[in-house]
Amino acid sequence: MIESLYISLQLALVTTLILLLLALPLAYVLAFKTFRGRTALEVIVALPLVLPPTVLGYYVLLLIAPNTAVGRMWQALFDHSLAFSFSGMVIASVIYSLPFAVQPMQQSLRAIPVSWLEMARTQGLNLKQTLLQVMLPAARGGVLVAAALSFAHTMGEFGAVLMVGGSIPGETKVASIALFEFVEMQQGSDAWLLALILLGVSFAMLSVVYAFNRQGPNLGAVK
Amino acid sequence: MKGLIQINSQIGLLALQVEVRFSDEIVVLSGENGAGKTTLLRCLAGLEHAQGELIVDDRVWLDSAAGFVLPTQTRDIGCLWPDAALLPWLTVEKNILLGIDCVDEAWVNRLLEKFEIFALMQRKPEMLSTGEAQRVALVRALCRKPSLLLLDEPFSAQAPAIRQRLRVALKAVQEALKIPVIMISHDVEDAEFLAGQHWRMREGRLLAEVESISMNRKMQS
Repeated sequence: MIESLYISLQLALVTTLILLLLALPLAYVLAFKTFRGRTALEVIVALPLVLPPTVLGYYVLLLIAPNTAVGRMWQALFDHSLAFSFSGMVIASVIYSLPFAVQPMQQSLRAIPVSWLEMARTQGLNLKQTLLQVMLPAARGGVLVAAALSFAHTMGEFGAVLMVGGSIPGETKVASIALFEFVEMQQGSDAWLLALILLGVSFAMLSVVYAFNRQGPNLGAVK
Repeated sequence: MKGLIQINSQIGLLALQVEVRFSDEIVVLSGENGAGKTTLLRCLAGLEHAQGELIVDDRVWLDSAAGFVLPTQTRDIGCLWPDAALLPWLTVEKNILLGIDCVDEAWVNRLLEKFEIFALMQRKPEMLSTGEAQRVALVRALCRKPSLLLLDEPFSAQAPAIRQRLRVALKAVQEALKIPVIMISHDVEDAEFLAGQHWRMREGRLLAEVESISMNRKMQS
């Protein structure tokens, strides 16, 4: 049980870190740019919200299977299969939780007053300075919410990681899958404890989200 | 230093048609609401897409015929808009030094003193009055020693008692930097005390009687 929790925690942490880096440019583009294919990009980002996780897992598995280009390349580089591995689960989780990272960031970037962005331009700040000194501090509430939601959502993942990871004990068997197996084996007390822990994690993460939401989409923007 | 504005643009509902020269003096710009004063300033700042030609200090900022637009970031301007746009998570000190690489401390200290914000340096914007926030934003625009200063009603939130001191300060700053200043104001005293030139705007155009007050003054004396 501890092992599966440890894997879940690791998966959630790695996924959240990757998502923060990946979602920020996506959120920036969706918040400020108009371009052809914008709607398509928004739909693709939001798709994991409605797609059955097993469908997502199935396609990821097709993509990274040992006989595909991606699978062969990974095998050549790291000498192990990407399918049914921790790394494979990371890929599935990143896609699975993408909307939970992109949307809060996108909203908080969009909520930055235009006058602040114009001020940054007239004060001669370049794009990097504007990002680091104006946009990110202004949108840090959204970034925190994105991190908390990505983490919680990945902790609770089941279908996609089962499909891609295959529930190998000590490698890809995460807590939510372990819970399912406890119930299947009628290990009632283990199931009870693990479920309670997962409930606690979700509760704590959502508490973070709501605590920050109360302060508005822009943390620090008081008025 | 010489400047040229030649703009012929439809911006939103406004048909902006302005052709005028300016030099290192304070221009007071007045006119009714909706006449296009703020829009003209925004064109100079590069915040609106304008058609025409802009030359400031022998540098081309805009040449629509050649398809050239100098980005706002590199125009080297100081701006004050009705919204002070102070970043709420930074102290006044960090707000006014935002984006400045090498700080001229003597210059900054002079500004702090002249515009009376020395005592506010460690405060967050939420602890400032509207008038104080406006003065902080004015100092922020001046710290970088811009080559053109654009002020949209810079004293609108100031109490009458402090206005004259601020006019004196602004005039001293303009004389120290030797730059053109274009300021929107409806205050007759601003025009009388500060204006080297007075432009009046109506429906997107400058009225023909652009008077050079400095000329008149010379003739009087």
